[in-house]
Amino acid sequence: MLLTPAPTAPNSSESKMTSVEKKDKKPDDVAEEEEEEEEYVVEKVLNRRVVKGRVEYLLKWKGFSDEDNTWEPEDNLDCPDLIAEFLQSQKSAHEGKRKASSEGNGDENKSKKKKDDTEKLRGFARGLDPERIIGATDSTGELMFLMKWKNSDEADLVPAKEANVKCPQVVISFYEERLTWHSYPTEDEKKDDKN
Amino acid sequence: MPTKNVADDRISKFKNKGKDPAKLRDKRINECVELRKAHKDENFLKRRNITLSSLPDEEALSPDHVLDEKVNSLTIEDIIKEVNSDSRESQTRGCQAARKLLSRERNPPLKEIIDAGLLSRFVEFLGMDDEPTLQFEAAWALTNIASGTSWHTQQVVEHGAVPAFISLLASPLLHISEQAVWALGNIAGDGPAYRDALIDCHVIPALLARITPETPVGYLRNLTWTLSNLCRNKNPFPAVSAVQQMLPSLIQLLHLSDKDILSDACWAISYLTDGSNERIDVIVRTGIVPRLVALMGHEELSVLTPALRSIGNIVSGSDLQTQMVIDAGVLSVLPQVMRHPKASVQKEAAWALSNIAAGPCKQIQQVITCGLLPPLVELLRNGDFKTQREAVWAVTNFTSGGTVEQVVQLVQGGALEAIINLLQVKDAKTILVILDAINNIFMAAEKLGETEKLCLLVEELGGLDRIEMLQNHDNEMVYQAAHNLIEKFFNDDEIKELKVDTTDDAFVFQTSEAEKTFKF
Repeated sequence: MLLTPAPTAPNSSESKMTSVEKKDKKPDDVAEEEEEEEEYVVEKVLNRRVVKGRVEYLLKWKGFSDEDNTWEPEDNLDCPDLIAEFLQSQKSAHEGKRKASSEGNGDENKSKKKKDDTEKLRGFARGLDPERIIGATDSTGELMFLMKWKNSDEADLVPAKEANVKCPQVVISFYEERLTWHSYPTEDEKKDDKN
Repeated sequence: MPTKNVADDRISKFKNKGKDPAKLRDKRINECVELRKAHKDENFLKRRNITLSSLPDEEALSPDHVLDEKVNSLTIEDIIKEVNSDSRESQTRGCQAARKLLSRERNPPLKEIIDAGLLSRFVEFLGMDDEPTLQFEAAWALTNIASGTSWHTQQVVEHGAVPAFISLLASPLLHISEQAVWALGNIAGDGPAYRDALIDCHVIPALLARITPETPVGYLRNLTWTLSNLCRNKNPFPAVSAVQQMLPSLIQLLHLSDKDILSDACWAISYLTDGSNERIDVIVRTGIVPRLVALMGHEELSVLTPALRSIGNIVSGSDLQTQMVIDAGVLSVLPQVMRHPKASVQKEAAWALSNIAAGPCKQIQQVITCGLLPPLVELLRNGDFKTQREAVWAVTNFTSGGTVEQVVQLVQGGALEAIINLLQVKDAKTILVILDAINNIFMAAEKLGETEKLCLLVEELGGLDRIEMLQNHDNEMVYQAAHNLIEKFFNDDEIKELKVDTTDDAFVFQTSEAEKTFKF
């Protein structure tokens, strides 16, 4: 009974087997195979013994009952994780060490995360292309531009420092549109220049 | 003065010349209004955490507002049309609308988007390096679909997203690369199968290549979280070769100070140490133990928790591994952790202590010397039940591996009294552990010829009554154990007579005798 490595399935301990479509194999299929090598999946290592100087492990086979458990020579096996788990359980029982309980505490960090719209994505982080700057303010202490973005109706503030680097032409247009030439004010021009 | 037309055109482009003052004033007023609005919006976003983009003002302030799909964003039908059109603009509009639906807080329509057959288009968009906006929207949309159930994640993977996302990791646009990191994190987090599939696609080197001194903190947070998912899950554990690849970077990340990065990096270590001693060895050989011990004392619960779990895992390993943790100073940090206001933290601390107490008497001595007995007894007395249960294990392990002298100190510290008081709990397993401890304590007493004294003490503490009652317990093992105790140590009738005279409050072993006669 040869065990050859294969891809592991998600939810159970399996020894590794090499051949192809292993994931779809069910225990029933295994019995029906004829000319191909028979390949079995180890579910758990239950015990260990030494026979004629060789180490053997008692194996529980996936899809088979405990009556079908067999002793296999260590060299035939390729399930190091399962063997390690068994050896560990032996050790802890003896020494009093207890591994973490398998039920997670519920404290663990999230396994999946959704990215919310309410993520404070503002300015360039929204990943949009600048269309034009429609205003400027420094009331925050830093010069900020009000940016209209392409493909969006929602304008928001970006730091001028960032805009100057990321879209200099847009910034230049903004300034050009608002350039004003100051000459020495005469009596007439003073009224015009007043904003 | 009249000017020429050409000059007029140019002049009219500059700020105030040649323009109607009334129009100019209106324009200024409008700009000011826009600026104030943007400012107000920004403040709203900070405080109320809602988007105002699709809501008219009154509705934005009403907490009960429900996003009306039809009015405020495209319907899925519209989205399908846009996404499937040939115009990049429409595709972007459609994809963005889908992204917004998928990002809303209440019931994002994951299944509807999948059923609309949009996934293949989104995956196509991922490959369009000349359309970064489209890439980004598609990446975000797919991220959120992959954040759902296993089925949702499966849909994303089966539409070929994985190679596309791995390529996107190398995007010169940081926000797109970061989105790919996030999406891959969701896929890896689904379970060991996808985790290993990603590893086989060489995701690890691609991720690690993104870590540079210039990488922004936000990016590193996402990256650390994704790495932690690649370390996560058992049956099977991730391959040791993959772990070895990730470890150096994890160690680097553990030396930063951002709490989110620290938290996820510690979770990664906690997953990697939750296994056989060989697995633990891989971790301790990196020399990260002192840093973990330090992080156990971190003020942020989100960092402390996984650091404590990691340490707890490591001390469940071999005596050598446990010694490394002791040498790193865990025994001076543990008392404050045992007094943490959160019950689950106390429990984990007690569990860690119970594993340290399961070591050789040399380590038990260190436990005593570093003053761990008083906080242990505190937990036995005042902890919540789950914590008490772990603390009881600590006592039993102590009595089983400790020298007679050490057991004496344990008793003098009040541990015996405390565990006797716990004999009334319902949990049979815990009762058995306590009876085991009492048995061990008696065996120590025997070595000193002080069994009678111990009997008296136990009786005074109300222990005899309780143990006698336990002989009627439902659980077979419990009544057997209780009975055995009584038989072995309490069978002299005289003891009951003596009860009246006794005034001894402390039970003292003659330690010098013990040392001479017995060697440990």
